[in-house]
Amino acid sequence: MNLDLDPTQTLLRETTREYLASTVPFDRVRACEREERWDSELWRGLIEQGWLGLPFPESIGGGGGRLTDAGLLLEEFARRAAVVPLAEALVCGLACTRSGSPSQASAALEGLLSGDVVPVPAVLEESDTWGVVEARVEGEQLIGEKLFVDYGQFASHHLVAARENDELGLYRVDARDDAVGSAPLRTIGRTPSARVVYRDAAVEPVGGPEALRDLILTARAFAAVQCLGSAQEALDQTVAYAKVREQFGRPIGTFQAVQHHAANMASRVASTRYLVYEALHALDHGAATPQQVAFAKASASRMVPEVTMLAHQIHGGNGMIEENDLYFFTLRGKDRSLAWGSAEECLEEASAAVDAPREWIC
Amino acid sequence: MDFEWEKEYRDFRGEVRSFIEEWRTPELLEEYARTYGADGPELRRFRDALGERGWMRMCWPEEEGGEGRNLFYQFIFVEEMEYWGMPYGNLTYTSIAPSIQRFGSDEQRRRYLPGILRGESTFALGYSEPNAGTDLASLRTRARRIGDEWVINGQKIWTSLADVATHIWLAARTDPDVPKHQGISVFIVPADAPGLTIRPLHAMYGGHTNETFYDDVRVPHADLVGGVGRGWPIIMHALNHERVGLAATGSLARLFDQLVAHLAERRPERLEDPLVRRRLADLQLDLLEQRALAVQNAWIISKGGTPIAEASMAKVAATELRTRIANTGMDLLGRYGGLSRENGELAPAEGRMEWSFRIAPIFRFGGGTNEIMRDIIAAAGLGLPR
Repeated sequence: MNLDLDPTQTLLRETTREYLASTVPFDRVRACEREERWDSELWRGLIEQGWLGLPFPESIGGGGGRLTDAGLLLEEFARRAAVVPLAEALVCGLACTRSGSPSQASAALEGLLSGDVVPVPAVLEESDTWGVVEARVEGEQLIGEKLFVDYGQFASHHLVAARENDELGLYRVDARDDAVGSAPLRTIGRTPSARVVYRDAAVEPVGGPEALRDLILTARAFAAVQCLGSAQEALDQTVAYAKVREQFGRPIGTFQAVQHHAANMASRVASTRYLVYEALHALDHGAATPQQVAFAKASASRMVPEVTMLAHQIHGGNGMIEENDLYFFTLRGKDRSLAWGSAEECLEEASAAVDAPREWIC
Repeated sequence: MDFEWEKEYRDFRGEVRSFIEEWRTPELLEEYARTYGADGPELRRFRDALGERGWMRMCWPEEEGGEGRNLFYQFIFVEEMEYWGMPYGNLTYTSIAPSIQRFGSDEQRRRYLPGILRGESTFALGYSEPNAGTDLASLRTRARRIGDEWVINGQKIWTSLADVATHIWLAARTDPDVPKHQGISVFIVPADAPGLTIRPLHAMYGGHTNETFYDDVRVPHADLVGGVGRGWPIIMHALNHERVGLAATGSLARLFDQLVAHLAERRPERLEDPLVRRRLADLQLDLLEQRALAVQNAWIISKGGTPIAEASMAKVAATELRTRIANTGMDLLGRYGGLSRENGELAPAEGRMEWSFRIAPIFRFGGGTNEIMRDIIAAAGLGLPR
């Protein structure tokens, strides 16, 4: 039991934070939002820093890190509201390198780390239900339609959930193929997302139903850590604001009502922080149950809007205008709280095992 | 970061569990419930057995007769004892003993610690007064020094367990002419001291607390703890330790487990209802979130730190969750939920849901109100200005 970051993790967090603070001014994030694009420049920087290889084994050319480390990275990116498909590319990379031979894995990672391949997952369809997959593969060609393909219009490849002879699986599709057509969706997160149609697109099989399940589980844990990043940043900005904003001749942070809002925000963030990193740690050790990940995501998903709404309450009108940075975290946080399983979905899923024998404490 | 409990902790938890399995007899539980942990042959036998294991002192420093073990052992011990509803000395052990170790004189340590270990010395807290509750530092019970003795006059309230404890851990004003936080001292007062009157106040949870009246109660100077006028930091230290105990997840987890078990056994059709399951999943997540704060808190103590904001967070979460589990639990049980344990088999979960609803408010304002806890989180944790 050790709840502190180890020295390499602390270093990773600090370097990432400093790098993002100096290279990604919030106005650049605003520009991406306005122009409805992704931050391809930051993506190149991220590749130069070698961060993309972090959670892959050294044996295939990765950084030998863990999902926990990737979580720290994602939290920092969320705190900067960065417009890059980091979580998306990582879950695809993990799916591609975990299935197939070592040489296939190295090749997949090489493509990712060179920047030539920017893969994103495409799982949900019109039904917005995880189990319902109507996209189908026949004779190595994919027919179907996907929704909520985050960064889908800018990705080089999609990892698509589809059925072949009724068997669920993951298939790699070249997104630049003419057989792939995408239309942007405008989501509350103001990050790119798309509706994508596949008309006889050529596919390569990547993995079966377990690979798909693993991808969803990892993506869910990553989305949880992104919620956490949004909430942490909203909390920190709010505390800083409450110390300097004066009303009635004193900082509003001296008022008990404001202090109690802030205390509630901090407690909610602290609980989620523990559960989210605990889930990532369990995934790293092959010990995570779907229920554990669902609970961690439910915690993050229900926490983040509570925290950001209190942040707005303390900021008042200043928090509503887009010259202030708070809105990034309110909107991104809510978007990620819905992604890969909302609080409702995750709690419903977790409730299946609510009467199973449990060990609270082990 | 590592969220796994090491083997030695898991083994220890196993050891505590088998001990509890052996000792958790209906006779002991009955005596505990009837006397509110005061005394009796079963309780004495149990405490002797606990004493033999050395668990009460395992985290004490070696020079105090302990083993200097990591505080996580105590966390595990308390969690298990709380889960199974076992009498283990609670406040005296979690709050008073560490204060005597830290602030007591050599003589006080020699005189009181062995008795606490054997379960023979138990303490009631003499803090609150009718006009000094949350604003504790304005307390007015007065101690005047006459020769080698202190003479105490005044009135305390909410002195729970004073009628069954052997001692009172008393906060009194020794100097009215200095700023209020600096004029307070802590005394160890025998509960049978002449001039001390204890009057019960019966409470809606079935037990009682007490008013205590001090009428020329004499205490030797040797029983003043930590120096004249040095009481405030001692009280804060003890309260902080008390909060760690109040934040324990064990009894909350058991309440939840009993609720689910009861529904599974007697109301399986209700447990099939997706809405009921959803409400249970909500509570289960609340428990996971609360325990996260409790472990975080224990982690800081185990490193030798003093969690201040963290202890407050865990206390608030635990005490508000207790209300929520009891309230939701009763709703899910329907009219049966309102049956007390006197109804025997008819009462779900041994009537604990109903009883928990009646006792739950205490925890939210006791040991420092949750409002004060939030003030502490804001000031100590977030650095918000006063």
